[in-house]
Amino acid sequence: MIRSFMTWCALATILTVVGASGVSAHHGTLVAYDREKQWTAKATVTEFRYLNPHAQIYFDVTDDKGTVTHWSGELLPNPAQLIATGWTRRRSMDALKAGTVITVTVAPPRAGGNVGLVMRILNDKGEELLGGQPGPPAAPPAAGRQ
Amino acid sequence: MGVAMRRFIALAAVLAVVSAVDAAAQARGAGPAPGGAAPAPGRGRAAGPGYPKFFDSNMPFEARDLAGIWTPNGNGFGGGGRCRDCGDRGFSFEFPVFTPAGQAAFDRNTPSYGRLKDSADAQAHPEEHIGRRRAQSPALGNDTYGTCNPMGMPRAILYPDPVEFIVLPDRILQHFEWGYGLRTTWMDGRKLPSPLDVDIPRWWGYAVGRWEGNTLVVESTGYDERTWVDHFGYPHSGEMVLRERYTRTNYDTIELTMTVTDPKYYAKPWTSETKRMHLLPRTFIQSSGWSGLLEDLCAPANELEFNRLIRDPAGTGKPAETGGRR
Repeated sequence: MIRSFMTWCALATILTVVGASGVSAHHGTLVAYDREKQWTAKATVTEFRYLNPHAQIYFDVTDDKGTVTHWSGELLPNPAQLIATGWTRRRSMDALKAGTVITVTVAPPRAGGNVGLVMRILNDKGEELLGGQPGPPAAPPAAGRQ
Repeated sequence: MGVAMRRFIALAAVLAVVSAVDAAAQARGAGPAPGGAAPAPGRGRAAGPGYPKFFDSNMPFEARDLAGIWTPNGNGFGGGGRCRDCGDRGFSFEFPVFTPAGQAAFDRNTPSYGRLKDSADAQAHPEEHIGRRRAQSPALGNDTYGTCNPMGMPRAILYPDPVEFIVLPDRILQHFEWGYGLRTTWMDGRKLPSPLDVDIPRWWGYAVGRWEGNTLVVESTGYDERTWVDHFGYPHSGEMVLRERYTRTNYDTIELTMTVTDPKYYAKPWTSETKRMHLLPRTFIQSSGWSGLLEDLCAPANELEFNRLIRDPAGTGKPAETGGRR
């Protein structure tokens, strides 16, 4: 009982703390991406970097025709913030090893291209990784997005 | 359950309860947050949650003892969240009157904080000075901080990450977590150089301090002109003199007001809104099992690679490299 309450508190804190950061992230992150045009898709991690100024994730998205598109993504939290929410380097790197299948929600760049702001990551069990990000509901996956 | 996980969950529980209580207070429209007045309604962006409340503000304190880790951050750690009562990242909501040279310098600066230039969001807030409504992607901006140059003052103290005040017999050091910057205020009675006599401008300026009652008054000058007053690209010239007034108002709160005097760029002195920062337990910030400020360094090796792989293609639409290390 107590443990489940504490776990709930931990999850609530992750969402609260990360949510708070969303309004005032580091340098220009909120300007470069259009969070009104988020999309969600299955993806395969090719690399994850736990670095300043922001953690980065690189991943492949395969559309209905089998075309693979490579994406680069930044996360709003920096390592300091990930540590604060319990996502230590080891835990994060273990959760996002190359080859891991994820469901990723991305805000695309206003200028176009395949670099996005990663708003949410779920693993194949549907568990949220790295705390998630605030934002409007994700649109259904769309094939061939660029 | 491991020790680290138990510690994390305990910490999380404290923060969650604090946040929940604070959020409830906000939802009720409760009055001023602990430590000061609520932000003015309708101004700027929503601030973060209330500060991490670890102390009884009414405990006895030594008004001239500023040593400790203080934060204007809503969660105490790095990452940018701002306390609800700490003010925003800008220097002031009372916007300055530029001289012609100041206006020209302001126009040359292209910040990446604030509302996106020419966006519906920017157009929806005509009450805000254009400085807060002209942000562009970092790839299109010219903020020297974007390549890890020091923020200088007063911008660094406006950044919402923790700062440690280290008090020595003859000086006070402000150690900023983000960027791991170190600023020295001399308390040994030396005189501030005239801005016109500064030999070499400094990113962190030349600063001297004295006590006026229980308020620490810091005067500084000699800043490198490439630093900005705040994140929105307000400029200063080499003639700027910055006055900061730090007052510990209770056990866990410091209030700060600042005035920029820069006749070359500003037609009259420009005074900040009151900023607040709150005390953190020395053991609060932890990584790798150690307590103390994180080495949250803006290292060019990281930043330039990040710009090349992420920021620049995101801001320009140019193709990104296809992942992977060089």
